[in-house]
Amino acid sequence: MSERDHGGAGQRGASATEPPPDPQPPARNRTGTRRRRISAAIGVFGELLITAGLVLALFVAYSLWWTNVLADRDSKRAGDRVRQSWLEDRSPGSLDTKDGIGFLHVPSMSKSDVLVMKGTDAEELNKGAAGYYTKPVKSAMPQDQSGNFSLAAHRDGHGAKFHKIDKIGKGDAIVFETKNTWFVYKVFSILPRTSKYNVDVLDPVPKESGKKEEGRYITLTTCTPVFTSTYRYVVWGELERTEDVDPERTPPKELR
Amino acid sequence: MYGWIWRHLPGNTWVRALCSLVLVLAVVFLLFQYVFPWAEPLLPFNDVTVDGGGS
Repeated sequence: MSERDHGGAGQRGASATEPPPDPQPPARNRTGTRRRRISAAIGVFGELLITAGLVLALFVAYSLWWTNVLADRDSKRAGDRVRQSWLEDRSPGSLDTKDGIGFLHVPSMSKSDVLVMKGTDAEELNKGAAGYYTKPVKSAMPQDQSGNFSLAAHRDGHGAKFHKIDKIGKGDAIVFETKNTWFVYKVFSILPRTSKYNVDVLDPVPKESGKKEEGRYITLTTCTPVFTSTYRYVVWGELERTEDVDPERTPPKELR
Repeated sequence: MYGWIWRHLPGNTWVRALCSLVLVLAVVFLLFQYVFPWAEPLLPFNDVTVDGGGS
């Protein structure tokens, strides 16, 4: 304001009737304006960078914490529905498997059980469940006389049900609980790192595990190393025995 | 940018602070509810299956 008044005052004497032409700001002020614009632009750029950093930090919080909150809530709800439908004991044909077919217990990995659903798409796995493969190699069911019961679950986020899969050692027990049967498997082979294209690990007779003959196997797959999906981690087990579920649902001795 | 927003919020400092907080929470909600669930499958952090393409 004061600059403008100052410039106008100099012109007033030359022509009193005409309004004074817009005064040219002095050269020093022009560079000052330019400098101010540049610093403002840098300021906005810096604020955008800070914003990007905050958004990335929020994304980490979302991936590692919030998805677990949602998934644990979903899987608890679905698991409760499964147990409830088992309790209600409807006729055998009407067993509803939409919410899940049973629970996986791996004492060396986790104290809690993992709900098992059909399918390994994000839709199932993001509910905090493990899924059995329907593609690219169709999983066998535990009650089948031979075949490979192949499962996948998240390593991080969305419940992170297989987070501690590296704690499973050879000889450890994997127990799958269905409405009427406990399937007790024993781990016999571990593949700590393989390509995501290695779908042979899901074969009915997974050769890489060292097995040559048909049997009743279980395969757990997840991603490795933690927090990334560069490779896949695979654990194989073989059925040791089955136990009928008693009225109290007494767990087999491996889980006690 | 943030200065511009601050200058365009109404009221005194306290009202502006409250408005800013509401705006921040709204942005976080939008990110968690819509943006991150959309972005997550596009990022290579959570593919756990062996199927050639990852899912």
